[in-house]
Amino acid sequence: MIKFSGLDKWFGDHHVLQKIDLDVAKGEVVVVCGPSGSGKSTLIRCVNGLEKYQGGSLVVDGISVGDSANLRRLRMELGFVFQQFNLYPHKTALENVTLALIYVRKLPRQEAIARGKELLRKVGLGDKFDSYPAQLSGGQQQRVAIARSLCMQPKIMLFDEPTSALDPEMINEVLDVMVGLAKDGMTMIVVTHEMGFARKVADRVVFMDKGSIVEVSEPETFFTAPKNERTQEFLSKILRH
Amino acid sequence: MNETLIFLLDQIKSVIQFHPVILKGLGMTIVVSLIGIVVGGIVGFALGVGRASSYKALSFLIGAYTDIFRGTPVLVQLFVVYFILPQAGVELDSFTAGAIALSNISACFVSEIVASGIRAIPVGQLEAAAASGLSRFQRLRLIMLPQATRMIVPSLVGQFVLLVKDSSVVSAIGLLELTRSGWIVVQSIPNGLLVFSVIGVGYFVICYPMLYWSRKLEKKH
Repeated sequence: MIKFSGLDKWFGDHHVLQKIDLDVAKGEVVVVCGPSGSGKSTLIRCVNGLEKYQGGSLVVDGISVGDSANLRRLRMELGFVFQQFNLYPHKTALENVTLALIYVRKLPRQEAIARGKELLRKVGLGDKFDSYPAQLSGGQQQRVAIARSLCMQPKIMLFDEPTSALDPEMINEVLDVMVGLAKDGMTMIVVTHEMGFARKVADRVVFMDKGSIVEVSEPETFFTAPKNERTQEFLSKILRH
Repeated sequence: MNETLIFLLDQIKSVIQFHPVILKGLGMTIVVSLIGIVVGGIVGFALGVGRASSYKALSFLIGAYTDIFRGTPVLVQLFVVYFILPQAGVELDSFTAGAIALSNISACFVSEIVASGIRAIPVGQLEAAAASGLSRFQRLRLIMLPQATRMIVPSLVGQFVLLVKDSSVVSAIGLLELTRSGWIVVQSIPNGLLVFSVIGVGYFVICYPMLYWSRKLEKKH
């Protein structure tokens, strides 16, 4: 469903993505991890065109991402959840969630509102329809953000460190929603440090360092018998606690 | 003491007799300021959007243009429009020249205010909007402008108040606006304090409602 072929990207002189090859199948959950600066956020942001790449190809559901004429259409099928939530502060939770439905999918208002309410209930925020983001906790805001993406009924959900900006107590409420999505068969790419989540639902774990993919394996193999030395080094540092 | 009081009341009576001139001046100030506010506001808004856009050449050109006019006195700009443009073949009466100069300077200041409001919106929201498939125009209309507008209202109104006061420069090219009417009245009633206090009240009557309204708008949000 997503195919990276020799993807290259530079930020000026910095070769931030180096000949990335990766296939993500429909229904697969791929977790991408690695140290800061490894390019994992840049990688996921290339998928929906938030970052542009210079070399290689990136095809999502048969459409090349580099082809800007199709970008809007492609983005309707790609949900993206940001580390900083990025909710619209001047709109209520329900308005946040229904905006794209009304203006992009062109759904009639009543239908959009019905779907929006259903999804907010699904993420556990059935009592927060008319709350503004400023009135919600971080975990609640992120759940609204997830609902906002899900409302568009995307084929693929992309998560860029969804829990990294949350207080520890709120991380689980968001991960629970994501686990639910994975179990429902959503195709997901998740950039995260939450290894427990990876172990529970990932089909594959991708470890990136300095712009390249160092190792890709199934969770059990990845965590118990990493092949690459750099992977072992990384895991030993983060699994200490 | 009694004599000065009677004399003062006499002067006040004379000033009141001059009310046609003063009202005419007030009317001219209102009209020419209104044109400057409306035309300058609309043009300035468009310039501001261009200034804050990612098209670097456009942003640079608009910035250079507005910097020139924001960095020079309105009076000088007015003289250029009225005295120097005719040499390039553009003949203007003083009202048109005044309206053009005021609209232009207003647009330049509004442009910077609008641009700074747009820039103040965190880019993450716009990325989220883009990621959900909203077009550039939709992002501007639904996400950026509602928030930016709320933010810049106080600065905008402040700018318009300044414009009303700056409008007195058009007296230099012969328009009979409020300040000029003051000069006319003071020829006959040589009490500068009295006459220009009345003129001051005239400006205050125009400006205060704007300031009050701006504060109310701010509180509403």
